[in-house]
Parts: sequence; C-alpha cells; structure tokens
Amino acid sequence: MTALIRNRRTGKIRVRKTQSSNLYMRGVLLVLAAITVYTLVTIDTKGADIAAASAKTAEYFWLMLTQPKAVPSHFGIQDGGGIGTFFSALHMLGITLALAFLTTLFGGIVALFLGVFAAGNLTNKKVSNGIKSFLAVVRAVPTVLWVLIFAIGAGLGSVAAVIGMSFHTISHLVKAYSESFEEIDEGVIEALRASGANWFQIVFQAVIPSSVSYILSWTFIRFEINFAVAVAMGAAAGAGGIGFQLFMAAGYFFDIREIGFITYLILAVSLIMEYLATRLKEKYHIHNGA
Amino acid sequence: MALLEVTSLTKYYGDTAALRDISFEVKKGEFVAVIGPSGSGKTTLIRCINRLIPASDGKIIFDKENILNLRGNALRKARAKIGMIFQHYNLVERLSVIENVLHGRLGYKSSLEGMFGVYSEEEKEKAFNIITLLGLDDYVYRRCDQLSGGQMQRVGIARALVQDPRMILCDEPISSLDPSSSKVIMDYLKKIQKEFGITVVVNLHQVDVAKKYAQRILGFNGGSLVFDDEPGELSKKQIYKIYGTEAGELIID
Ligand SMILES: Nc1ncnc2c1ncn2[C@@H]1O[C@H](COP(=O)(O)OP(=O)(O)OP(=O)(O)O)[C@@H](O)[C@H]1O
Ligand SMILES: [Mg+2]
Repeated sequence: MTALIRNRRTGKIRVRKTQSSNLYMRGVLLVLAAITVYTLVTIDTKGADIAAASAKTAEYFWLMLTQPKAVPSHFGIQDGGGIGTFFSALHMLGITLALAFLTTLFGGIVALFLGVFAAGNLTNKKVSNGIKSFLAVVRAVPTVLWVLIFAIGAGLGSVAAVIGMSFHTISHLVKAYSESFEEIDEGVIEALRASGANWFQIVFQAVIPSSVSYILSWTFIRFEINFAVAVAMGAAAGAGGIGFQLFMAAGYFFDIREIGFITYLILAVSLIMEYLATRLKEKYHIHNGA
Repeated sequence: MALLEVTSLTKYYGDTAALRDISFEVKKGEFVAVIGPSGSGKTTLIRCINRLIPASDGKIIFDKENILNLRGNALRKARAKIGMIFQHYNLVERLSVIENVLHGRLGYKSSLEGMFGVYSEEEKEKAFNIITLLGLDDYVYRRCDQLSGGQMQRVGIARALVQDPRMILCDEPISSLDPSSSKVIMDYLKKIQKEFGITVVVNLHQVDVAKKYAQRILGFNGGSLVFDDEPGELSKKQIYKIYGTEAGELIID
C-alpha cells in the first residue's frame, strides 16, 4: 500500500504528489526571474532620462487614444477629405480582411484533408506520425518568417504573404482538426463500419459531423490570428492594406494621431469579429470551444 | 436451414484465448441469447461474426458465404446484411434521428453518394416508416444528443433495420437502460424477429430476460461454449456451469 504524503512542516495530508518535473519547472522559473531582475538593474539606457522618456511615451499614448485623426492626403484623397478618407481607410481594411479570409479559407480546406490523414484513429500510425512531425516543424517557424522565406521566390508583397500565411495556417489547423478527429468515439466509427460503410463514407458521415463545432471554433480563432498577422504583413512584407498605412503613419509621416485613428479601426474590426464568433458559437452549440 | 454456421471458431488476443473452438448453428428467423460472465467472450464472438475483429481460426458461414474469406466490397455487402446494435448506441449525436437511421444504407451506396449523404426518395421513405414503427415519428428531425437512452437505442435499432438485414447482432443492448426501457427494447427486438423473420442474436447479462425472450440460449464460460439449448433446459446446474457456483446462486435467487 502507498503511504499518504504529508506536508513536512504542517503535517497535513497532501492530495498531489510533487513530481520532479514540477521541481524543474520551479527551478527554471526561478532562474528566469533572477535573470530578469539582473537585466533590469544593469540595463544600459545610453544616458536617457527614464522618467522623462516615460512621461513622453504616456503623453503620446494619450494623444493617440484621445485625438485620433486621419490626414486625407495620406490616404490618397486630394480634396475635401472626411467621408472619402474614411472610405479609403475602409478599403484598406477590406484588403487586410481579404488577406486574412483567403489564407484562412485556403488553409482550412487543405487542413481538413490533411487533418483526416493525420488523425491516428483514421489512418495508420506511420502516415499520421509522418504528417504530424513534418507539420510540427512548419509550426515551429513563425508565420512572418514563412512569408519572408516565400518572398525569396515570389518577391515581397501579397503573393508571398498569402502563401506564407496559408502555410502556417495549414500546420496549425491540421493539428487542431486532427486532434478533434482523434477524440471521436471509436464506437461510432465501428457502428458505421459494421453496417458496411467504407472509409470515405465514415469520415464524411461520422467523423467530420461530430467535429463540426471544433472545426468552426478553431477556424475562427485562426481567422482572428490571421487578421492580426495580415496587419503586420502589410507593414513587414509590403502586403498592402491597413497594415501598410499603419507602417507609413508610424515610420514615414510620424503622425501619432493617425496611428490612433488606424488603431481604432482595427480595434473595431476585432470587436465585430468577437461578436460574430459569439453568435456563431451560440448557433452551433459550442460548449467546449477551445 | 442454418443461416449462420460457426465451426471451430477460435480467437486469440496475443496469448489469451478469448474463444476456444466454438461451434454452433443459428437457424433462419431464430432468436438466440448469448449469456456468460464478464470476460467470457460474448462481445468477441459477436464482433468476429461481422469481422469487426479478425478471427484466429475456424469458419463462419453466413448466408452460404464464409465471412472470414471476404475482403473489400464483398465484405461490405455481407456486413450490410447484418445489422448491429450496441450498448452505448454509437450514434453520431450531432446529427438528426433520420440522418442516423439513413447511415444504415451506406453499405449499399457508392463512395461518393454515401460521403455526401445522397439518399433516394425510397430510402428516405423507408427510413421514415421504420422510425414510425419504432414510435419515434415525433423525433425525426431531433438531434440525437437530445434523446433519452431508450430513444437512442430505438434509433440504433432503426439504423440496423433500414439495412434490410437477414440477421441482427446485439451487444448488451439493454445494459445502459432502466427496466421499463429495457422491456420496450426487448419487445421491439422480439417483434422484429416475429414479424419480419429477421434472425436476432443478442448478448445479455440478464438470465431472466434471456429465458423470457430467447428460443435458444448459448452459455459461455472462459471462451468455451458450455451450454447450447432451449431456455427450458437451463437448469440450476447449467447456470452454475456458466457462471460458477457463487455468482450462480445470486442469479437463481
Ligand atoms: N482488444 C483486446 N485485447 C486483448 N484482450 C482482449 C481484447 N478484447 C477482449 N479481450 C479479452 O478477451 C476476453 C473476452 O472478452 P469479451 O469482451 O469478449 O468478454 P465479454 O463476455 O463480452 O465480457 P463483458 O460481459 O464484460 O462485456 C477477456 O478475457 C478480455 O480480457
Ligand atoms: Mg462484452
């Protein structure tokens, strides 16, 4: 019989065993904390006045949030401005959203097929492990890097962004999809097999319908991620859209109030997406969306 | 005439023998109950018959074909003629009752039609009629995760029936149900056997239920067939033989 474990000091009974991995974890955290403190104390500020710099940052931040304003000419609007500028900004937002949508759709479709083959309960171990380990490597490299890698062939721009973002989306969604496929009750698969259904029929009639809520929920999460990435790609890879405008405002026009304007636009889109996601979940009864 | 003829069936899981040299026959339209203690091989037997698991040795002749030799499409066709009902119903819970029932037709469909759930009007009508027969006509479009256990099991029976099966195999169909739902399910199985002449082979843990419904009882112990006769012949001594002395006393009381 295993003896109950008691706390060494208080003598109270423990219900969880301290495992060695827990100890390692604590050790690692401790070391990281120590390094952080050491770095903060010894950091080279090149003589900048921290207090003044912080105050200035706060001031800019305040200006950005309280007085957002777009300059029409930055948006390619010559005269008037107002409504024209707004529509021009919406158009750029549209480009960014389209980039996110396209890469999510493309990645999602490919991932659905690969996900089936990556699910250990639907194919043999070799195929499943092969796909999984290959995609683990793909996933380990950040999206931005993939875009830059594909830019070697396609040149910086939207093409590289679409390919690179889709690539990473696939690797992410295959993992999410295949894990939800693997969770399906083996008995259901068996029941269809017993009635004479073949593999394709089982996948489409039992496996995918059972995982629909997971698939939707993961795809939507990936869409949100891809929107954020698409903004960044506009700036970093010249993929255009609102991200590029943000980059121009920040690095070229040095217009902090325009940055505020664009930030609010992006925020609004995020809120709308959040709302839609909630509605979608209600509609499909997603209780355990990850 | 024998619909199912099992000869010297043997099944090993690694080194453990789950079935040892089993031979028996099931006549067309017969209602057979399989009883035996936990681990005696009842589930293994049922699954060997429709090849959900491969047998190690022996012969299983169903409808004049040796099931153990079939592959690919021939196996699918044979399976389509054998319905199966499970303890945990094994329905696709997100789909509606009628969608689940129509899954019983997949064995007859081409890959593409089956994949996208393209069913003929006759098939849909047939499914609806069977659903009505099982008293589920109010729930045709209800999602299966909103049904009670007894109702889900009736969907399971409907799915098996829509296959136009010659035989239905049931693995503990009432073990998750309360006594009154159990009776409903057993009555439906009896009705299917009587009215449609479909052979029914059912694994049971309840000896009294087996005695009440079956025309023949197969008793298993440790992978061997130790009893094969009519319910009337199931004496105290035979029950001891199947379940061992101590458990046997509990059953007889
Ligand atoms: N997949 C498996 N791998 C290894 N051994 C197995 C496997 N399935 C069953 N067995 C063994 O085979 C024997 C028969 O099991 P089986 O499931 O057929 O019994 P059962 O009569 O259906 O029992 P129960 O009444 O509990 O359902 C048992 O000893 C069991 O441990
Ligand atoms: Mg069993």
